[in-house]
Amino acid sequence: MYKRSFLPLALLLVLLLALSACTAVAPTDSGAAAPADDAAASEEGETLTIAFSIPGLNFPFFVHMEQQIKDEAASMGNVEIVTLDGQDNTTKQVADLETVIAKGYDGLVVSPRTADALAPVIQQVIDAGIPVITVDRSVQDVTGLLGHVGADNVIGGEAQGQAILDLFPDGAQIIELLGTPGASPAIDRSAGLHNVIDPAGNIEVVCQQTGEFNRDRGLTVTENCLSSNPEAAAIVAANDDMALGAIEAVQARGLDIPIIGFDALPESLKAIQDGALYGTVEQFPGGQARTALQTITAFITDGATPENEINLLSPILISADNLDQAERIGEVE
Amino acid sequence: MSGPNISDNAQVAAPRRSFNWTAYASQFGAFGVLIIICIIFAVMEPAFITSINIFNVLRQVSIYGLLALGMTFVILTAGIDLSVGSLLALAGVAGAAAFKSGFGVAGAIAAAVIVGLLGGLLQGLAISKLKVPAFIVTLGGLSAFRGMALVFAKGQPISSFPPEYTRFGQGLIGPVPIPVIIFAVFALLAFIVLRYTRYGRYIYAVGGNMEAARLSGLKVDAIITSVYLIIGFFAGLSGFLLSSRLNSAEVIAGMGYELTVIAGVVIGGTSLFGGEGGIFGTLVGVLLIGVLNNGLTLMNVSPYYQQVIIGLIIVLAVYLDQLIKRRQ
Repeated sequence: MYKRSFLPLALLLVLLLALSACTAVAPTDSGAAAPADDAAASEEGETLTIAFSIPGLNFPFFVHMEQQIKDEAASMGNVEIVTLDGQDNTTKQVADLETVIAKGYDGLVVSPRTADALAPVIQQVIDAGIPVITVDRSVQDVTGLLGHVGADNVIGGEAQGQAILDLFPDGAQIIELLGTPGASPAIDRSAGLHNVIDPAGNIEVVCQQTGEFNRDRGLTVTENCLSSNPEAAAIVAANDDMALGAIEAVQARGLDIPIIGFDALPESLKAIQDGALYGTVEQFPGGQARTALQTITAFITDGATPENEINLLSPILISADNLDQAERIGEVE
Repeated sequence: MSGPNISDNAQVAAPRRSFNWTAYASQFGAFGVLIIICIIFAVMEPAFITSINIFNVLRQVSIYGLLALGMTFVILTAGIDLSVGSLLALAGVAGAAAFKSGFGVAGAIAAAVIVGLLGGLLQGLAISKLKVPAFIVTLGGLSAFRGMALVFAKGQPISSFPPEYTRFGQGLIGPVPIPVIIFAVFALLAFIVLRYTRYGRYIYAVGGNMEAARLSGLKVDAIITSVYLIIGFFAGLSGFLLSSRLNSAEVIAGMGYELTVIAGVVIGGTSLFGGEGGIFGTLVGVLLIGVLNNGLTLMNVSPYYQQVIIGLIIVLAVYLDQLIKRRQ
């Protein structure tokens, strides 16, 4: 009996110790900003604490963004970034943003997982007097946003479509790998693609299926699509992970058809170098994150409002010809 | 944790010695559904019955099929493992990292399998010794293993392997993809263990009525721990295989697999209350899911409708299964 009750108790003790260690670190962490009022903190040039809330660190895209915003903060010197990982879960991100209010951070840079569901809590953050800027993904029906920095997914999709028209002026049958059903980048990228290829009239999408933005599904779906459409001449994927999966499926069948991805991950840039991938779309996520941080810190310290409320960096198609324009080309081994 | 199985006792003693394939197969409503669906697809889409497509389906099924073998052991003891997909990802990045650090393919497989076994052992002990419900322990594992993979790989995929690494997931022996052979071998092993060994009968006994099993002298704790070791092993192995097949070990690998795998096992007639079911049913279940995904894609059915259709067929298959069992 004694033994029984001792073990859970010991575990509880360990857990409490671990937790107390965490809370012990936290105050010193943000100690500089926490006790001072917002205004006082900014005027005296003390460290600004900016919350960076993203849909999920399980996406390399956002990992890169986080790295870039932290680098930018480090180069500014007096800015500290607190990353809030939404774990690909809207409820988690709502809770994250509630803590932004509770902790009274100096500013918020947020990429909302969904445009609608995050709107109320973002409004609350703004109403609490915290400046907010959205990055990459925007939010709907919120008043008082400092601005939005992003890339237009529709234009990115159009860049993919243009590449297909250039490759096949006489028409072709293609496979389209859609993103997660219902996700706004999935909808916008596909819309952009069809804006360009549908009017041309000679590009037929013979297999339009979802690879759910991941490599595993991208590979599986491509295998299946190629089974029923062995004559397909190209594959357009709504992100690079699916395109990289498609490469494996295409090579396994001994085919050599152009594949176009989206996001310009280092791995895809390498695949373009190797000739396995035809192209990908660069949205400059690092540039977006840096611009957002510059804008919000300029506002907090000098009261400067951005020239344009919406600042869209124009996405471009990266292929073997212009690899040097890719943001992350330096990360390719 | 689980109440005693109140259904008729004949099912607890399910493994019988004499073996009649057709009688055995016809017990499964899902088997009939699988056959009918295959016929429908074959008629409507000629590409469905090409050998290349059949091997595609089998290859696609192999990875989560291996997990489903382990899950069958777990569910037979009235347990559950929600952490498989996360443990698969953790094992995958561990194996990939071992390979990138120069330990070779054997080192990669060993690292992945060891991580899988350790994860399984931890969970098994927490369930059997600390008496925390399996649902809770593995729900924790679902989050914790994924988190460990993220920490370990810093959120980035580990990619680009030479052919000696990727051939396990992508290669063929004759016309047969290597993952299919691996899956077939382990499926046969699992079938034999559950049906013809004393250990197999213990698993059914523990799942059928844990208290009775304990009173009759079985080491229930050890048996429960062992099934989580088994599924951990399969999570490790398929983590390696998936990274080999994708030429990339991703931290998001296997997300949502737990639901596919549990669905496969349950469609195959294994009872979530334990003590009833087996490997043949699980094979039918995972094949049914794989064939549906493949066939609907071949026919270019809208992905929105696909989810609806797959959901309905899963329920239908289990309903038919129940109907047949009730009549017997």
